[in-house]
Amino acid sequence: MLIPIIGALIGILIGWRLPFEIPVNLVKYTAIAILAALDAIMGGIRAQLGQKFLFSKFISSFFANTALAALLCYLGDLMGVDIYIGAVVAFSIRLFQNLSLIREELFDRFWWWRSGRSDKDM
Amino acid sequence: MKIKVRSWQWGIGLVAAVLGLLIVLQLRTELKIRAKLPTRQVNELAQILKNQQMRLAKYESEIATLRRQVSDYDRDREILRLKMAAGLTPLEGPGIRITLSDSEKKLKEYEDPVFYIVHYDQLELLINELWAAGAEAIAVNNYRLGSTTGFSCAGTTILVDTRRLAPPYIIEAIGDPANLKNALLMPGGFVEQQILSFNLKFIIETVDRLWLPAYKGSILFEHATAASEEGGN
Repeated sequence: MLIPIIGALIGILIGWRLPFEIPVNLVKYTAIAILAALDAIMGGIRAQLGQKFLFSKFISSFFANTALAALLCYLGDLMGVDIYIGAVVAFSIRLFQNLSLIREELFDRFWWWRSGRSDKDM
Repeated sequence: MKIKVRSWQWGIGLVAAVLGLLIVLQLRTELKIRAKLPTRQVNELAQILKNQQMRLAKYESEIATLRRQVSDYDRDREILRLKMAAGLTPLEGPGIRITLSDSEKKLKEYEDPVFYIVHYDQLELLINELWAAGAEAIAVNNYRLGSTTGFSCAGTTILVDTRRLAPPYIIEAIGDPANLKNALLMPGGFVEQQILSFNLKFIIETVDRLWLPAYKGSILFEHATAASEEGGN
């Protein structure tokens, strides 16, 4: 649990200290990339909870989703199609779905853990 | 088992680092944009800017066209005014028509006919009287007088510039008809002394609308060149 937190802190620090910023016209695409990354992480957590987590799959989905989302939005803008909106909707739906599944799973586990303990107590 | 957990954690750590970096960068940029622009509708603002720029360009070209028109108009008016002053354009307006001719009196033996014909200096002095009385344009026998027009005597005829005149001399002058007429008919004036006293035929009539042709003589300047207002010294 410690390593992810340290990693996040390092990332935040680098981001804070970097001398350059994202060019204004690319901000839209990095926003989509972040959304895709969050989606990949939620997917990973859900897979972990379902005992189906595969490290290589997680890493590839994280980077591929992020890059592809930004790239597709850029292509969409080039063609004049608002893929941007589609990406936002799709990723948001999946994000909320995964979040609710994670919450359900955690709730079940907690319930199971408590009921197990209460069983022991009883 | 332990190694597997660790590699898993390293991966998550890397992902967390990348995500943190991305989010922080995004926030920094986004906050900066929001500090600069009141709304995030960059596209909308760009559209407004483009529209305004197009309108600006349109107005600028309109201004340029109008300026050109104004200057053309000014130039045309200036040219017309100068042509009128130089006698290069036909003119019309009220004025007087003078008919001057040799005397019709039957001469006696001892009378010298020289005194009973119109001489070029009489014609010229008459025209000078008209100028002095405020005539704006004068034509003799339908020949418009220009700024360099001169009269000369060639045997029995009068030349105006290079054109031969024959009596009767019809002098048309544009100007205030009453002023011109009164100036000519002034008692003791040039007409009474130099023309009427020789019994020359002299008819003066006011005309509401005279038409004078343009000056047809030379307007070449061989020796004179345009100079500055201050003079040569």
